[in-house]
Amino acid sequence: MRQAIPSLLLEAADNDERFLVLCGDHGYKLFDSLRSRHPERFINVGVAEQSMVGIAAGLCRTGFRPCIYGLAAFVPMRVLEQVKIDLCHGSLPVVMLGDGAGLTYSVLGTSHQCGEDVACLRPLPNIAIYSPCDAHELRACWIEARGASQPSYLRIGKEHPDDIHAGPVSGTSPTVVSEARHAFTRAVIVATGAMVRVGLGFAREHGIRCISVPRLKPAPVELIPLLADAERVAVLEEHVSAGGLWSLVLEMLQHAGVRRPRNIEPIGLRDAFTQTAGDHQHAMSEHDLDDGQVAVRLTHWLNAPLPTDARD
Amino acid sequence: MHTAALDPRDLRRHILFMAHHGRSAHIGCALSLVEICATLFGGVMRYDRSDPNAPERDLLVLSKGHGVMALYACFRELGWLGEEDLRNYLVNGTRLRGVSEVNVPGCEVTGGSLGHGLPVAVGMAYGLLRRQSQRRVWCIVGDGEMNEGPIWEAMLFAAHYRLSNLTVIVDANGFQAMGHTDDVLRLEPLAAKCAAFGFDAVECDGHDMPALAAALHAGDDARTLPRAVIARTVKGSGVSFMAADNRWHYERLDDRTLAAALREIR
Repeated sequence: MRQAIPSLLLEAADNDERFLVLCGDHGYKLFDSLRSRHPERFINVGVAEQSMVGIAAGLCRTGFRPCIYGLAAFVPMRVLEQVKIDLCHGSLPVVMLGDGAGLTYSVLGTSHQCGEDVACLRPLPNIAIYSPCDAHELRACWIEARGASQPSYLRIGKEHPDDIHAGPVSGTSPTVVSEARHAFTRAVIVATGAMVRVGLGFAREHGIRCISVPRLKPAPVELIPLLADAERVAVLEEHVSAGGLWSLVLEMLQHAGVRRPRNIEPIGLRDAFTQTAGDHQHAMSEHDLDDGQVAVRLTHWLNAPLPTDARD
Repeated sequence: MHTAALDPRDLRRHILFMAHHGRSAHIGCALSLVEICATLFGGVMRYDRSDPNAPERDLLVLSKGHGVMALYACFRELGWLGEEDLRNYLVNGTRLRGVSEVNVPGCEVTGGSLGHGLPVAVGMAYGLLRRQSQRRVWCIVGDGEMNEGPIWEAMLFAAHYRLSNLTVIVDANGFQAMGHTDDVLRLEPLAAKCAAFGFDAVECDGHDMPALAAALHAGDDARTLPRAVIARTVKGSGVSFMAADNRWHYERLDDRTLAAALREIR
């Protein structure tokens, strides 16, 4: 997915003279093609993420349409208040790209990991939040964000070479990426970002429905009818469940006033920092979230007796 | 561009009037700004009195949002705010709040969380320079506010890109909320620091309007660097019992202190 970023930036620079990219001395080779064709559109503000957000706001106020790039641990986490005051309060159309979200930077440790960005941004007025699962969803989210008149955040998670979708997707609504093998299967996996890959693998194997949710704010209420028959739902995310997609699903069901699935299982990061060195799967294992652990948890979720519903 | 000569005495009366009606704190930080604002609106800044949003206006960024009563006082004199607006300052359901907010015409940024305005001003100046615009950006920061890291980040950027259309005016009243700037977190030598950061730095008496105008204008045609004007001011200036008394960062005016203060504004 991350590999699709350079072409999106190039395309935007080719087609929109107002488009600028700001980064806080991060990104390594990600900007090579942009810098080669449009060197004047790339601004490395230095290791100064806080002022970068303000500078982007000022550029926006003078007619530019900036995109600011950083690791999610820094953009938006380090600059949360700048996002609130400088971007959200004036509702300025600045696009934030937060790379390496979740535990992508497992090797570098706590400072570079970021499992809380969505929960921190969701309460801010005027912001749109996206969490694409592959290059196709990334493009759809990018197009929507670039066309918006408000700030947006795109959460870029762990890179995986294979796309989830077979081709371009239109829009950012929740999409069924794997349909149930039997018409009345009552278990549904709901996933976002990098965890869609894991959920999809399990769903295909067991013939159950799997839904990818690329847009997290405004709330993806289109998800609710897709859960109409569900008795059990598992919510997968490389983010803490509290405040993330799991919370969002519970909130939306409550607001919709519909009959709830009897089990809505959180499968996300625990309320803990990772403790030891290691690769991405190792870091995920500390949260019971490596690929094998997720499969075990989903198997248990799928086969566990449902709690008795007091309404029955 | 139609500008107006503003009389500091009128501005101080408005500030006291608002502060009394609104039971507002931050009187001292507004009073120290009066001559700076009067000088900017009195011919230094390009703006259109008939339209606070005139497209070719210079941009005035009040980074130290707590001094916003001084700005509102100017807007009142310019006709951008009415008598009622000032009378209703901080009243439930009205539009003027206790720090600058971007939705009030004339306020270009939401200030008050300190260290935000200058980076935005720097982005504006950089954007205008990229567009080869003749518009300029004026940013007022407090000396206490300069404790904030993003101020210095933004100054590095401004100097690196030689933002000659940017002037940072430091309302150097020597105080911050809880004490002397020198005691809390020493800034001096401030002009030397600004110069070392790549600014054309000058100091002046922040209550002497001709001196301010000279400092703000100096060498306009040949400017190649961002400028920092260290305006040496007195917190609470213009009212003897408030001047350099930091209690008036928080104290409220009652009928008696209002009358005493107004008697001194002549």
